[in-house]
Amino acid sequence: MMSELNIRKAVMEDVPFLVDTIIEAEKSGTDILTYTTIFGLSESESRKYISDMLLEEVDGCELSVSSFLIAEKDGQYAAAVGAWVEGAEGMPSSMLKGNLLNYTLPKQCIEKAVSLNSLVKDLHIEYINNTIQIGLVYVSAHFRGLGLANKLIEKQIEQLLNGAPEISECYVQVFGNNLAAIKSYEKSQFVKLSERRSDNSSITNYFPANSKWLMSRKVK
Amino acid sequence: MERELLKEKLTVIFRSVFSNGDLQISDSLTANDVANWDSLSHMILIGEVEKSLGITFKLKELNKMKNVGDMMDIILSKL
Repeated sequence: MMSELNIRKAVMEDVPFLVDTIIEAEKSGTDILTYTTIFGLSESESRKYISDMLLEEVDGCELSVSSFLIAEKDGQYAAAVGAWVEGAEGMPSSMLKGNLLNYTLPKQCIEKAVSLNSLVKDLHIEYINNTIQIGLVYVSAHFRGLGLANKLIEKQIEQLLNGAPEISECYVQVFGNNLAAIKSYEKSQFVKLSERRSDNSSITNYFPANSKWLMSRKVK
Repeated sequence: MERELLKEKLTVIFRSVFSNGDLQISDSLTANDVANWDSLSHMILIGEVEKSLGITFKLKELNKMKNVGDMMDIILSKL
């Protein structure tokens, strides 16, 4: 029997799988989860708060259900990719995500983050307005090697261009340690534009890697 | 609280959060105008404003704040 692939927009019932997607994508193949290292949350607490943020139904950022496409294979969750047009909701996606973090996380998480704010800046790469941003990407272990991430990225670009045909560029940010993801993006015609690197030896206590790549491709 | 006094208080908070002692704020200032205004800085900024002024924002209010002028309007409506 032919194996069936179904690609569709995420809906609220998919939130548990989107929480898995966000947790695993944030870890970037390591055990380091920034929600734990920066905010002082356990992984189970992180799951709860990420779920709460997704359920707020804020559009236009990394923590928006509406940003995700899901791939199902033979009726099972196989992969998810988040993407959005930067600034389409009238404000930067970083502000929308920051609002969700502030509103949802306990205040002691903010206190903890204050002391790490300067360290975090070392790896910060600005989002560019009016471009497609590929956010979090995850493929379940059983479904790797099938090109699902690239299929979802192509579908995201196609759908976002339908709503914003003037867009000409697509960007993705990836930790420098994630060679499998980098190779996958290169297969999708992304090329490395720049790299942010931290010389602070403690950075890998908080992030999966000490460098982050910015990759881009033309979409028309 | 008068708008000018609020602006002075916010200037202190913004300069501290963004580690920029020369930062001048205006009604039209947005995240696109300030280096390193990322999601973490924004979360901290809102938290510091709430703590300093003794207020709490609703998520709907936060998502209406497209610039500093919007932020000041909402803060003044709560004081």
